[in-house]
Amino acid sequence: MSAFWYYVFTLVFFLFDYFILAMGLNIQYGETGILNFAYIGFVAIGAYVTGAASLPNSAGTGQQYIMGWGLPFPFNLLLGGLVASAVAVLVALIALRRLRTDYLAMVLVSLSLVLYDVINNYVPLFNGADGLYNVPQPMAGIFHLTTNSFIPFFAVVTGLVALLMWFIMSRIMNSPLGRTFRAIRDDDGVAGALGKNPFGYKLTSMIIGAFYAGVGGGLIIQFGGSFNPTAWLPGETFVVFAVIIVGGVGNNVGMLVGALLVETLLIHLPAFLPEIPGHPGLIEYIDTMVVGVLLMVMLWFRPQGVVPERVRKSAGMLADRARGRGRQLTTASEGQGKSGE
Amino acid sequence: MTLFWLSVGFGFVTASVLAIAAVGLSLQFGITNYINFAYGDFMALGAYFTYVFNAEFFHWNVWIATVCGSLLMGVLAVIINHLLFSRFARRFSKTFYVMIVTFGLSLIILNVVYSIWGPDVRAYAMPIERVVKIGPFLLTRDQLLVMAISVVVMVGVAVMLKTTRLGKSMRAMSDNTTLAMTSGIDTRRITTITWFLSGTLSGLAGAVLGISEGNITPAAGELFLFVIFAAVIVGGVGSIYGAMAGAVIIGMATEISAAFINPAYKLDVAFVILILTLLFRPNGLFSRPKG
Repeated sequence: MSAFWYYVFTLVFFLFDYFILAMGLNIQYGETGILNFAYIGFVAIGAYVTGAASLPNSAGTGQQYIMGWGLPFPFNLLLGGLVASAVAVLVALIALRRLRTDYLAMVLVSLSLVLYDVINNYVPLFNGADGLYNVPQPMAGIFHLTTNSFIPFFAVVTGLVALLMWFIMSRIMNSPLGRTFRAIRDDDGVAGALGKNPFGYKLTSMIIGAFYAGVGGGLIIQFGGSFNPTAWLPGETFVVFAVIIVGGVGNNVGMLVGALLVETLLIHLPAFLPEIPGHPGLIEYIDTMVVGVLLMVMLWFRPQGVVPERVRKSAGMLADRARGRGRQLTTASEGQGKSGE
Repeated sequence: MTLFWLSVGFGFVTASVLAIAAVGLSLQFGITNYINFAYGDFMALGAYFTYVFNAEFFHWNVWIATVCGSLLMGVLAVIINHLLFSRFARRFSKTFYVMIVTFGLSLIILNVVYSIWGPDVRAYAMPIERVVKIGPFLLTRDQLLVMAISVVVMVGVAVMLKTTRLGKSMRAMSDNTTLAMTSGIDTRRITTITWFLSGTLSGLAGAVLGISEGNITPAAGELFLFVIFAAVIVGGVGSIYGAMAGAVIIGMATEISAAFINPAYKLDVAFVILILTLLFRPNGLFSRPKG
C-alpha cells in the first residue's frame, strides 16, 4: 500500500476517533453545561487501561504496568471506558456537588495537571514518562493482518464503533434524559424547581461523557500501539473543545463536521508537511495557534457553530402555535410528548 | 532536622513567588468575575521579556530587567483585555465563553513562546551567589531579595486597597459592579488599571520564579498555574488576603512535604490540600460572604 493511502486512513481514523471524543464532551458541556477542562485526562485513563489490559503480563516485557491480562478487542475497550466512567464518578462526587462554574473549571484544570504528573512520575502504574508501547494490534491474528493492512482495517472498525456510539448518543439526546440535561444547562435552578435533581443528572452526564472519552482513548492506543504523556498534555482538552465549538455545540452532526475541520484538517494534515529547515516543531506551534485563533473567530462570528443545535419543539408547543397562542415554556417536562420533529 | 529547616526556608521562597502570582490573579478575578486561564502564560511571557532585557539583547542587571519585563507584561495585559477579553465579556453574559477564550489564548501564547524562544531551558545572566546562613535557613541573596520583593508587593497592595481612592473603587467593584457604576465609579478605567496590575504582577511572578528556580521554560508558568489555583481556592476565590494566606499555606506545604516524600509529587500535595479544602470548606478558608 502506498504511503498516500496510509496517510488517508490515518486521517480517517482520527476523524472517527475525535467524533467519538467530541460526542462525549458535547454531552457534558454542550448538553449539560459542565465545563470539563479535565476531559483529556479521561481520554488518557481510557487509553492506558485499554493498553494495559490488552498487553500480556508485564514480566519480561521491559515495561512496568498493572493488569496485563491480554484481554481481546471489544472487552479491553469497554474496560477502558468503564474505568474512565468510574473515575468520573469520583471526580463528580468531590467537585460537582457544590462548586460554582468557575471553581469547578479551576479544579478540573488542576485535576488534569495532577493526573498528568502522577502518571508521569509513578512508573509501576503505566510505565511513567515512557508510556505504554508494543500494545498488540486487535484482531490482527484472526484476520491475518499485516502492519500495512491493519491501518485501513482499524480505521473501518473505528468508523463502525463511532456509528454505534452515534446511534446510542442520539437516542440519549432525544430521550427525556437528554431533555433534562438541556434544561439543566439552560438553568439548573428551573430544572431543580421542576423536581429534577441537577446533581444526579450532571453525574449521569459525566459518566456517559467519560465513557465516550475512555473508548476514544482506547481506540487511539490500539491504533498506534503506544501511548505516552506527550499525547495528552492538558492543552489537548482545548482541541476537543475547539472541535465541538467549531462544529456546533449540542448537535451530533456538528461533532463530525468539527472533527473533520479541526482535528483532521488542522491538527493532523499539517503533521505531514515537511519541517521548515532550522526550525524544528515550528509548524506544530503555528498549527496550534491557528486552532486557538479559529476558535475565537468562531465564537465571535458564529457562536452556534457550523451546524447549529436544532431548536427542539414539543408537540404541545406546535399545537399551541397552530392555535396562535405563541411559544410556551416547555423545557424539562417529560410528560410533554415526543419531540415534534 | 536540618533538612526540615532547609525546606522551611525554600517554603518561604515558594510562598513569596506564589503570593505575588495569587494576588495578581485574585485582583483580576474579583473585578471581572472570570478566571484567566492564560495567567500562567502571562507569567511565562513576563519571564521571557525579562530574559530579553537581561540576557538576550540589552544585558541589564537582572532586577532592572525584571521591573521592565513586568511593566511590559502589564501593558500587554491591558492591550489583550481591550482587544479580546472585554469584548467577549460584554457580548456574552455567560462567563464560560470568556473562560474558553482565555483557555485558547493560553495555548496561543504558549506556542508563540515556543516559536520564538524554543523549548530549551534558559537561565538569566546573574552572578553566582554564595549561600547565606540565617538562623537555621540556608538561602541565596537572590532568594532573600525575592522574599523582600514579595513582602513589599503584599504590603503595597494592601495599603492601596485600604487607603487609596483607586483601591476603594476596586473593592466596591468587586463587591457589586452595578452598584459601583451607579455610584459614579468609572468601571472601565478601574478594569483597565486592574488588568495592568494583574499583568504586571504575573510578569513579576514569572521573572522571580525564574530567578529563584535558576531557569525558565515556556511551560513553567502553566504548571505553576495550578499551584496558584490551589492557593487562591484554599484562601477563598476573590479575596486578596485569602490569596496571600493560601499562598503561604500551599507554598510551605509543597516544600516541606518534599523533605519527606519524593519531591516529584510535591505539586500533588497542593492538590490534596485543595481537595480537602473543597470537601470541608468549599468557599475557602477566608471567604467573604457575597452580598
